[in-house]
Amino acid sequence: MGILEEAFEENVLTTRVDWLLNWAKLNSIWPMTFGLACCAIEMMAVGAAHHDIDRFGAGAFRATPRQADLMIVAGTVNFKMGERVKRLYDQMPSPKYVIAMGACATGGGPYFKYGYTVMKGVDRIIPVDVYIAGCPPRPEALLEGLMTLQDKLRRTPVIRKPARLQPADLA
Amino acid sequence: MDFQAIADHLSVANAPGLLSVELPRSPDKETKDKGRSGLPYLCVDPSRIVEFLTFCRDDEALGFEVLVDLTASDPSSDDENLWVLIQLLSVRHRQRLAIKCLLPKAAPSMPSSTKVYRAAQWHERECMEMYGVTFEDHPDPRNMLLPDDWVGYPMRKDYEFPKEYHGISCE
Repeated sequence: MGILEEAFEENVLTTRVDWLLNWAKLNSIWPMTFGLACCAIEMMAVGAAHHDIDRFGAGAFRATPRQADLMIVAGTVNFKMGERVKRLYDQMPSPKYVIAMGACATGGGPYFKYGYTVMKGVDRIIPVDVYIAGCPPRPEALLEGLMTLQDKLRRTPVIRKPARLQPADLA
Repeated sequence: MDFQAIADHLSVANAPGLLSVELPRSPDKETKDKGRSGLPYLCVDPSRIVEFLTFCRDDEALGFEVLVDLTASDPSSDDENLWVLIQLLSVRHRQRLAIKCLLPKAAPSMPSSTKVYRAAQWHERECMEMYGVTFEDHPDPRNMLLPDDWVGYPMRKDYEFPKEYHGISCE
């Protein structure tokens, strides 16, 4: 770690605060238990032993938005549910992230043309960080989405204020 | 009893509201009859449906103690009528019965069957919001699935899809 390396005695490690906080944050993304349709079955498969989302520290599915960092919108969002989705999102403490899982949450999916009550994408009511394609996506795709979110967190500094950031920092 | 025996029994007993017995028939070129496939059913006067269902339930030989289904249908935009379709089941006698009521699309209204079969309650609520059929004296005439402020009856042939809902575009 730069010039401080080996400046101290043994068993002392040096690091950057940004790196340490991000390391802690991105390896403990707790998702909210939030299945709306068939995508939830794949989400449950990701939580189970074979795919095991716990390897990425995101296996602690919380039953309340107040303890969750990540909302995985797994399934079809209709207008009636959309109000609840918005309210749950507002109840989550910042920093909070959203994964739109599958075709329905991304853009209405098979209900795009004739689904009169289906919202054409959950990004019309809440901001979405990662979109996952598929109907429903394979469990590996959800893991890929989670890792994409982790990459995004890794690139986001914690200490420096976002206003001072240059575009190059986020590239 | 098979369907014919049930129909004969109802005719002999002079069941209230029974209009006609409809059997499936094959097409006939001479009379230009297009024919009809599917189940045999009874046509019943919608204004007397409560008496008719009470008779079917309480008659010893019929014993239809279960309401399997109550739904509606908008067969064609040319048709002036909506159909309300009722399926009954007798577990004791192992027999089923299909009933059809014709209601004018301009003002579809009939008495509620909830006094005879309490199972009809949710089915009638769904018919009300999806087809605009009014069931008089329904104990709880709220929307079943759609939001409370929904406009229009989605299952009607002349239904126009909403452009937006609560400021969220549906396009």
